Amino acid sequence: MAGNKGRGRAAYTFNIEAVGFSRGEKLPDVVLKPPPLFPDTDYKPVPLKTGEGEDYMLALKQELRETMRRMPYFIETPEEKQDIERYNKRYIKVYKEEWIPDWRRLPREMMPRKKCKKAGPNSKKTKDTGKDTSLTNTEDVLKKIEELEKKGDGEKSDEENDEKEGSKEKSKEGDDDDEDEAAEQEEYDEEEQEEENDYINSYFEDGDDFGADSDDNMDEATY
Amino acid sequence: MTQAEIKLCSLLLQEHFGEIVEKIGVHLIRTGSQSLRVIAHDTGTSLDQVKKALCVLIQHNLVIYQVHKRGVVEYEAQCSRVLRMLRYPRYIYTAKTLYSDTGELIVEELLLNGKMTMSAIVKKVADRLTETMEDGKTMDYAEVSNTFVRLADTHFVQRCPLVPATENSDPGPPPPAPTLVVNEKDMYLVPKLSLIGKGKRRRSSEDDATGEPKAKRPKHTTDNKEPIPDDGIYWQANLDRFHQHFRDQAIVSAVANRMDQTSSEIVRTMLRVSEVTTPSGAPFTQPLSSHEIFRSLPAGYNIAKQVLDQYLTLLADDPLEFVGKSGDSGGGTYVINLHKALGSLATATLESVVQERFGSRCARIFRLVLQKKHLEQKQVEDFAMIPAKEAKDMLYKMLSENFISLQEIPKTPDHAPSRTFYLYTVNILSAARMLLHRCYKSIANLIERRQFETKENKRLLEKSQRVEAIIASMQATGAEEAQLQEIEEMITAPERQQLETLKRNVNKLDASEIQVDETIFLLESYIESTMKR
Repeated sequence: MAGNKGRGRAAYTFNIEAVGFSRGEKLPDVVLKPPPLFPDTDYKPVPLKTGEGEDYMLALKQELRETMRRMPYFIETPEEKQDIERYNKRYIKVYKEEWIPDWRRLPREMMPRKKCKKAGPNSKKTKDTGKDTSLTNTEDVLKKIEELEKKGDGEKSDEENDEKEGSKEKSKEGDDDDEDEAAEQEEYDEEEQEEENDYINSYFEDGDDFGADSDDNMDEATY
Repeated sequence: MTQAEIKLCSLLLQEHFGEIVEKIGVHLIRTGSQSLRVIAHDTGTSLDQVKKALCVLIQHNLVIYQVHKRGVVEYEAQCSRVLRMLRYPRYIYTAKTLYSDTGELIVEELLLNGKMTMSAIVKKVADRLTETMEDGKTMDYAEVSNTFVRLADTHFVQRCPLVPATENSDPGPPPPAPTLVVNEKDMYLVPKLSLIGKGKRRRSSEDDATGEPKAKRPKHTTDNKEPIPDDGIYWQANLDRFHQHFRDQAIVSAVANRMDQTSSEIVRTMLRVSEVTTPSGAPFTQPLSSHEIFRSLPAGYNIAKQVLDQYLTLLADDPLEFVGKSGDSGGGTYVINLHKALGSLATATLESVVQERFGSRCARIFRLVLQKKHLEQKQVEDFAMIPAKEAKDMLYKMLSENFISLQEIPKTPDHAPSRTFYLYTVNILSAARMLLHRCYKSIANLIERRQFETKENKRLLEKSQRVEAIIASMQATGAEEAQLQEIEEMITAPERQQLETLKRNVNKLDASEIQVDETIFLLESYIESTMKR
């Protein structure tokens, strides 16, 4: 066994002749690099099929590609503003028809934000509670203010007022609470308006101008 | 999903729907199903854009959604459906060959829009056809809807899953996403619409729809507020049915090549008769007696019953087993072995790829191994009658390219090479998979090359478009011949030549894409039918 192995020659457990190397022949080098990106081919590729059908499909394919670009489904990336307005931009502008998806078929979160808000159970609750407080408390506050104007400052008159309303144990603190609540109510309104405005902007301006962070802020707004 | 497939999906999405949709789509393909917020966060895209992209993907049936517990909606991309976009030209062309221009436009509109209501399709197609007609002529809505009904009857178009009607009395917040229901019975049921009208006008007449309460109301185009009669009933192209058609075509032409025209006509008849009765994934068609086949032969075909029986016996005896005999009753019943047929077609594809890549002598070895199943190296050399050294070389080349695989059978448990049989074999399934993967890769390469070519010549293309636009507008205003000539000369001769070259290259690349997809179709059908067993 050891005799036919030769010095420095790797020892194989099998007969190398079986894989096509004659005795004493040099083995090929170890390949250390990946195969070439564009290897030579021994055989030329066969020509493509041609015919009426093939030509028609080719035309269809190219037409389809063009049409797809003009469909409303093709969402273009907002391109960065160029310093010089290119003349052809003005008339090459593609006309796209409006596409309104059938919201009934889509998850509710897909809808633009406005509708989402109204439908969301969370917002409903806040609105409901808001309404309740406004109905009961604003009247109170208004009355109080009126009476305060008439009678001038005085804790007693306040107490009397409260008695009239039927809440005997209400003290100054309770009064403060009321006012606080009213103030809070105002805040709510402001916030809501702000957001609705935000929403409107984002809706009509395509939302492209808004970065990811502005969105996040909006979502995290507390009610 | 392999990297090659994802790459191809990405290129296709980008070409059809733009960068943003591509980003979202590829992210979904890579990660599997995810919720809206996670997608937006992971891709760093604004919520609005993610929503828009998802709407587009859902519209085109490329993404499905599902409500998970706690009301989270998760979106999942349909990778294999994305790859079908490669085949759109072929679907449209098939519709044209079967149902002429009207069918072509119906399928084209469906593919372009993903899903549409029947009334919208009919209107759009009629308008488009009217545009191409001479002045004064218009396309009748009734004609278009007839074609549509025929497409639905032959299952080439089908209804999308429906949103079930919701009861308003349902307390509590509405579910976060509608659950779509597939109604098997109504899949191909066309709503009774009274789409009567010509060209761009549209009016309706009395409608006696019984089953479709929505369709009962007559409508007027003048009033846009009027509810659409088939509101909510969306249609999509039934790609499986198209695939079934492609498969049948391939089988018929294979039989024609192997035997003759008459036998292919018999096979075509058998396939046509069992078209609707056989489910698309079945390995066999429904058994047909020779009488049934005889009766269903096309009228122009004059074959005597005896001749038909002879043909059927001949087909059943063929070693490829496209046609099998399933029984002797009724003058013999015959089936078409769809699974075997697809296997033969895939094998033939493999053989021809080996032949074109490695030459005919390699193909001889390949066929030999295919035929004998398992062969030792020595046997290959002897049977192929190729000198040992060359035969080894070829065998190893095919082994390293994964067309041929090696099976070790050790005599002793220590797997010592000297005491092991090495058997060469062709595993058709894995070779087909390998080839399929290669096809995806080559199409991705073709697309990239095409985009590169177009990008390189962008300026030139824009210039030629501009010149063409100017010429067209000048022709419309009635400019003189000399002026037109002058404008035309704005593109110099070398530029013209460059444009020609570009056009030729792009055409070639596009045509290759379509034709590689044919191979993809065959291999996929074979793999699919094998996996089902």
